Amino acid sequence: MNFLGYRRPDGKVGVRNHVLIIPSVACANEVCNAISLKVKGTISIPHQHGCAQLAFDAEQTARTLIGVGKNPNVAAVLVVGLGCEVVNSSMVASKISESGKPVKNLIIQEVGGSPKTIKEGIKISKELVSYASQLKRVKAKPDSLILGVECGGSDACSGLAANPALGVTSDLLVKEGGTIILSETTESIGAEHILARRAVNKKVREKIFEIIRRTEMRALNLGHDIGRANPAPGNYEGGITTLEEKSLGCVMKGGSTKVMEVVEYSEAPQKKGLVLMDTPGHDAESMTGLIAGGTQIIAFTTGRGNPLGSPIAPVIKIASNSFLYSKMQDNMDINAGEIVTGKKTIREIGESIYREVFRVASGKLTKSEICGHREFAINRIGPSF
Amino acid sequence: MPKAIENLILSHPKDNVATARSPLNAGTLLNLTEHKAIVAREHIPFGHKIALQKIKKGGAIIKYGERIGRTIREIKPGEWVHIHNVVGERGRGKGRKKG
Repeated sequence: MNFLGYRRPDGKVGVRNHVLIIPSVACANEVCNAISLKVKGTISIPHQHGCAQLAFDAEQTARTLIGVGKNPNVAAVLVVGLGCEVVNSSMVASKISESGKPVKNLIIQEVGGSPKTIKEGIKISKELVSYASQLKRVKAKPDSLILGVECGGSDACSGLAANPALGVTSDLLVKEGGTIILSETTESIGAEHILARRAVNKKVREKIFEIIRRTEMRALNLGHDIGRANPAPGNYEGGITTLEEKSLGCVMKGGSTKVMEVVEYSEAPQKKGLVLMDTPGHDAESMTGLIAGGTQIIAFTTGRGNPLGSPIAPVIKIASNSFLYSKMQDNMDINAGEIVTGKKTIREIGESIYREVFRVASGKLTKSEICGHREFAINRIGPSF
Repeated sequence: MPKAIENLILSHPKDNVATARSPLNAGTLLNLTEHKAIVAREHIPFGHKIALQKIKKGGAIIKYGERIGRTIREIKPGEWVHIHNVVGERGRGKGRKKG
């Protein structure tokens, strides 16, 4: 199946055409928000990071901001920095510009304060929006798609209906040469042996066990039981009893093909096919990692009713049960609950998600976009200092 | 592939629990096969698990054909299986499968 997308200078294909305003540090958040309010077609992504972070966190923040800027759903970028931050805005802008798209940079301390930077930022953003508005959608092949698969607010039907159906979708896209990124390492604990069995080679197999061990040990070293944070109260209410049960359902979203690669949080895959990304189970953080890794579309299953979206990727919401679908239709795109009631098969729903992915790739808005959900959260490994 | 039996979903032939496709009242008779039936011993909420057989104290709960936790007391056939009688073993420094 083909779709209509925006071909970028680096050859990648976007399914959206945003002008992104990136604060390189939390200190630039409100300046970015103020610019975005005044220029239609821009999106600002405020966050809490960019300074007073240990090296591994500063590096992760930079990798995330650069990755999001490079995402093919983004046509052009304005990066705003303060001037004295760790995650330097000129560096972020220069790395993003390697993708060939127009990138501008403003530094508040150099321009001379907030109002002047906002004024200058509005002028630049107007030009970037004018540029982006003249780009046209062209025919693109499925092998240029990266689909992130995510679940949040899961219930017992997630693992029995929505996730195996999304697994069918994943297998279909891999067969057509596309890429699937399965994330949420916490929610693979107890199911890692299933993924490891499908590792393409020994290195990938070892990396799967390593990210699981790392996640489990991180909580244990802090003296905490992951079970207190995950599964969440709503998961328990929905019939999920243990983390292992949640994980076994969770990994089904990736389908049944070989695991080709394991990437770090926000890292872009080098391989096509099924790829794992090491992200936490926190959905906004996980989806931010996915878009920074180049994901253009996210398919998101939920049993309790999770409304989260993403600033630059359309998020397709798949309800695992019909109660949820009828109750939260404003947020749900597809009802996999028909599997539980016996009206549809896992295969049929998987195929309908697949068709929806391509409709959305060509421009159809998802409920999360229509509702204005743009949650953005960068994962932090250690504390701030 | 999960299989629907009456008002239950059995996710794998090896499983010793099944999931309720609709809320089950206490006393509901569920024919698992031509020769085997269980009775729900208590109310089972939608999406929650019912024991298909006796599971001894400390025994494994099997769903998706995999171990999802262990019981903290004996569970009788037809009992509701959830956090009051089962604990997970992962994320707690135990049970990790070796690489």
